[in-house]
Amino acid sequence: MGFFSKLFGKEKDAICAPVSGEAVPISQVSDPTFGEEVLGKGIAIRPTDGKVVAPCDATVDMMFETGHAVSLIADCGAEVLIHVGLDTVSLKGKHYTVHAKNGDKVKKGDLLMEFDYQAIAADGFDTITPVVICNSADYTTFETHVGKTVTAGEVVIELAK
Amino acid sequence: MKSFTHVIKDPLGLHARPAGMLVKAAAAYPCAVTIEAPTGKADAKRIMAVMRLAAKAGMEITVSCDGADEDAACAALKVFLEENL
Repeated sequence: MGFFSKLFGKEKDAICAPVSGEAVPISQVSDPTFGEEVLGKGIAIRPTDGKVVAPCDATVDMMFETGHAVSLIADCGAEVLIHVGLDTVSLKGKHYTVHAKNGDKVKKGDLLMEFDYQAIAADGFDTITPVVICNSADYTTFETHVGKTVTAGEVVIELAK
Repeated sequence: MKSFTHVIKDPLGLHARPAGMLVKAAAAYPCAVTIEAPTGKADAKRIMAVMRLAAKAGMEITVSCDGADEDAACAALKVFLEENL
């Protein structure tokens, strides 16, 4: 343990915003799978940009071939699911471009996928993007930083076991 | 151990929402629950593992329950899959 972690208590793992936009509590997601934390605790972002980047150093566990969702195993151990928009599985890849594949080692900020958020909204979909820690039950500290506009790369979740 | 097979009917396959619901249904039972698909094998109580199966419409999956409440778990998961996937 370093000097600062001794000073400020236990060391926390940081998960950053994968996309720029408005960070909100996950309870604001209308889909109960996310809003009721069935998949785990998290936050959501209403995107104002169309680039999804790695929220931390991680390995891509499962890139959905439709590009609407990706799961990552963070180097710190967190299991992160990023789901771009609600019900967007039914777009079957339309408006999404995939930039990473299963097994890729990615660094925080690396491009994972791009999406045309305006076209997705125009097709009648909610573009709100839940960022879920699927193994959140393993953590005793789970802090979220929401209720503000964030730029991709800003810390939105802090975790400690 | 008890097991049964199910052919996925949802044209979108086992995507995030049904995977989450399946894990929630499996987690209600203390017994071990595994899912085997042509794409691999997963602990049905781990959402990331279930999603990684990427099981698609038309694929046959085998659900196995092992533990004291395996009969109840199998029955409940069979109903869940028939209604949701």
